[in-house]
Amino acid sequence: MNWNTLLLMRQELVLTTVILILLVVDVIVKNKKSLNIIAILLFGIYTILGFFPSGNNELFGGMYKNTELIFAFKNILNIGVFLITMISVSWVNKKMLPLNKVAEFYALMFSSYLGMLFMISAGHFLMLYIGLELATLPVTALASYDMFNRKSSESGIKLLLSAAFSSGIFLFGISMIYATGGSLYFNSIYGNIAISYLSIMGLFMIFAGLAFKISLVPFHFWTADVYEGAPTPVASYLSVISKGAAVFVLMILLFKVFSNFIDLWIYLLYGISILTMFIGNFFAIRQTNMQRFLAFSSVAQAGFILLGFLSADQVAVSAVVYFIAIYVLSNILVFAAVQSIGLASNKYNIEDYNGLYRTNPLISIALMFGLFSLAGIPPIAGFFGKFFLYTAAASKGFYLLVFIAVVNVTISLYYYLIVVRAAWLRKSDNPIQFYKSDIFMKISLVIVSTALLVLGLFSPFYEYIFSISNI
Amino acid sequence: MGLEALLVFPIAGVALILIANFLARLASYKSDNKAKQEPYESGIPTIGKTWIQFKVGYYLFAIIFLIFDVEVIFLLPWAVIFKGFGVAAFIEILIFLVILGIGLLYAWKKRALRWE
Repeated sequence: MNWNTLLLMRQELVLTTVILILLVVDVIVKNKKSLNIIAILLFGIYTILGFFPSGNNELFGGMYKNTELIFAFKNILNIGVFLITMISVSWVNKKMLPLNKVAEFYALMFSSYLGMLFMISAGHFLMLYIGLELATLPVTALASYDMFNRKSSESGIKLLLSAAFSSGIFLFGISMIYATGGSLYFNSIYGNIAISYLSIMGLFMIFAGLAFKISLVPFHFWTADVYEGAPTPVASYLSVISKGAAVFVLMILLFKVFSNFIDLWIYLLYGISILTMFIGNFFAIRQTNMQRFLAFSSVAQAGFILLGFLSADQVAVSAVVYFIAIYVLSNILVFAAVQSIGLASNKYNIEDYNGLYRTNPLISIALMFGLFSLAGIPPIAGFFGKFFLYTAAASKGFYLLVFIAVVNVTISLYYYLIVVRAAWLRKSDNPIQFYKSDIFMKISLVIVSTALLVLGLFSPFYEYIFSISNI
Repeated sequence: MGLEALLVFPIAGVALILIANFLARLASYKSDNKAKQEPYESGIPTIGKTWIQFKVGYYLFAIIFLIFDVEVIFLLPWAVIFKGFGVAAFIEILIFLVILGIGLLYAWKKRALRWE
């Protein structure tokens, strides 16, 4: 161990320091409002540090590894967390400043993110498990952060119980893999594990544990309740960062560690993808609460992500990573709009959005951009994200599945447009009053909207991801 | 390893508990008197319902105790081999202590140590 190898995991080290500084500053500083700016600054420095080039290496005998792809994916999530930090400022200032609980919000969010970084870089099952736990526990605290709101407490306890159950299943799966593979290192399991009932059981249990995080269909029941009750920035964190990290880990596990089980998991993914898309879409149509609606929309999006897995090669990896990059941005944009409207008017239902365009034109443009990107309407980046997923699935001849996915996109267009119609075309006697967002919200809305427009037309981004996509 | 390996898990799990209980029953000497029915060996019978809310301070103290607990667990093996490792080990344990110290400082300043 020398300085060069330590530099390899500098992101985790710097983030740990950021969390510690935040806690110390919290007890020193008198003006609690400035903690918001300190948190944004510290995380901003950390995000910028992430863009310096990094090596391709392993640490601790293969427990921790960093490749160019992992590094790029961490950078994508860094930007996502940075944006969520910016949009949560207005929520924290309004709800948590009187209670003097500002720094803890960011400290919890960053520690959960720290767990995800370890999860993504893990080269050993126990490392992965510890990362998963560190990623989950702070989020349950965050989901119940809105102390005097009973729904928030409900969502926290639901998330805690179901997450504990799913990580128990995950751990049991790991023990079965150890029983058949004889090791917990990804490198030594890879290629050494025989296909037997025990190892298949282990694969399914590990898959179930991660599918819970991604909220794939048989494991999606917690999603709607938790998203509805949780504070909006936390819901966006859950739907974007948590899901993205779990998808990436699932990809590493399936493509690398379990690559000789491919005939099995490819049909598992095939079925779950169809189920997830249909159930997510049909339930989303019926929702009236915006956060519940977004919960089911994110379930449906997870079904589309699985589509990209099916080709199981470089095309698949780059399509999934690219889609997640776009999905992070578009979902954050919609959640930011929902949050700013909800904070200003305390309204979270779709029909409350009637006539939004007349009173708040800018926020309704942002909302429209985000929803169009989620639906996949061409000039905006979301279209290309979905398009690459289809090409990945079609490249191995899954034409029927691509057709089903196209049908589902049409269904999803319907319900995304319901929201857009409410905001733009419907009139209301009692529309949401004109309001002004704070500066951080405005900056992040502008950044994300332009990024969505630019990324759709900027092909070098995809080519870069494609060039580094080898697991 | 086939399907039968899966069966081994539940059977072994149940059997281990049953055997352990059975052996304990064989080996133990049984007696019954009034004092045995009391909830604690050296305690007094409880007054009123036990399903009440405890003061949250107890939990806070338990968690802060954990800081020192973890500290000791790591300090003890470190102290045994300290001479062989030199300055590097010293700095590493210092970083570890600083992290725990920040936790304590935070709890202190947030008045978790005050019993009100």
